[in-house]
Amino acid sequence: MSEQQSHSYVKYSTIFFALCICTVLSILFDFIDLREKSLLGLKGVVLLSLVVLSIACAKALFVMIYFMHLKFEGRWKYVLLSPTIILAMGLTIAMTPDIGIHYYVDESPQVDYLKQAQQATPENGSANNAEKSHVE
Amino acid sequence: MSQDSKLPQYRMGLPIPHSKLGMWLFLATEIMFFSAFIGAYIVLRAGSPGWPTDANITHIHVWAGGLNTFVLILSSFFVVLALEGMKAENFAKARRYLCLTFLLACVFLGIKTYEYYGKFSHDILPGHIPETPRMAIDKSMREMKQVVDSRTIALANFKPPAKSEPAKTEESVELAGVTDEKTKEITPPVEILRQKLQAELEAPDTSESRKKELAAYFALETKFIDLNKRALNESITLTEMNQELDALRKNPDYGVFLAPVHHLQPIIYGNLFASVYFLLTGFHALHVVIGMIMFVIVLIQGKRLCEKWNDYVENIGLYWHFVDLVWIFLFPLIYII
Repeated sequence: MSEQQSHSYVKYSTIFFALCICTVLSILFDFIDLREKSLLGLKGVVLLSLVVLSIACAKALFVMIYFMHLKFEGRWKYVLLSPTIILAMGLTIAMTPDIGIHYYVDESPQVDYLKQAQQATPENGSANNAEKSHVE
Repeated sequence: MSQDSKLPQYRMGLPIPHSKLGMWLFLATEIMFFSAFIGAYIVLRAGSPGWPTDANITHIHVWAGGLNTFVLILSSFFVVLALEGMKAENFAKARRYLCLTFLLACVFLGIKTYEYYGKFSHDILPGHIPETPRMAIDKSMREMKQVVDSRTIALANFKPPAKSEPAKTEESVELAGVTDEKTKEITPPVEILRQKLQAELEAPDTSESRKKELAAYFALETKFIDLNKRALNESITLTEMNQELDALRKNPDYGVFLAPVHHLQPIIYGNLFASVYFLLTGFHALHVVIGMIMFVIVLIQGKRLCEKWNDYVENIGLYWHFVDLVWIFLFPLIYII
């Protein structure tokens, strides 16, 4: 036990640096702006979300396994955590067809305006430029 | 329970302290709690084409989110070191790291406050955001009417200083138009006050400075009536209105009063975005505050900190890691995607 503790100090700092590197990576991906690029048939926001969320998952696993000591816990962890995680994902998946996928016609002013804005880009562009003048 | 005392004692339940089991069960419910919000966010985001992502419009800064991520990760690391200290009976070390964690939590909330301040000052609040140019122009006219009305009331109340009108612009407009149950005296409508001011301006015995103030007020009011007319018959565009307002703000006589009128910026799905943003980050900040209270409970023990607190420190550590975990997902979801 004492041996484990003595080198776990080093290990914790390694995990900490790994987490920092992951954070820097996700910020880098934001600056690269994957919205414009495509890779492996995926493009735009989907690609960006996939990359950034998998980094987040990796970070979450680092925190759970090492910082929350799940690596050293008994099998009870599976009993306790698997139902919640399955239900949590199920909740999101269950909501998706209702709200996330538009299979019905929507008459929202936002969408109408978006179409207008896309048609008349020059005016919109000047509005954006005016906005930039007062950024904190 | 066991009849023979020589037999090894059976321990009911899991091989962990009850408090730790309780904490893990609580964290399981917390996972559900946050995944409901995060799930709702993902679904709403995916279902809204044209969700606001431009940092200049939403005033969401990646550097602030990234810095906060770093702060929370560092604090999580310190909690682990504090627990190490507790287990090694090095309580001074444990106290030091718990204290550092608490300070980092303060830093986190400080950065969060800065971000919230930015949102409030640009009026990026649920229900306040115009989503089309029409709505933006209407909103600016409402805000300007409030400014003019509150200026009317302020100037009309200038002479008798005994009756003090509430300084809040939003309240004063309501008071002027609608008789509130709370107000005992019926405040005269703004129109009557305006006529009084008009008479005062024309009166010969009014002092020079007062006359100047009144003239500025009437100039502002004329400008407002003109703009409002153009807004009502839709003969002004968003860009023109912004230019007009900018010009008014620069006016030396009444520019200062126009501070409550915001720069026009319609944001498609802005209200939905603001609701989700404040819901997610607000509940996360609440968790941070609760975590800080728990850190304070152990920190005020001071030198009395002993091995009895091992379980407590481990449990708040678990809670704190969870708070970190939630932020790890919120950061990419809100700040990057």
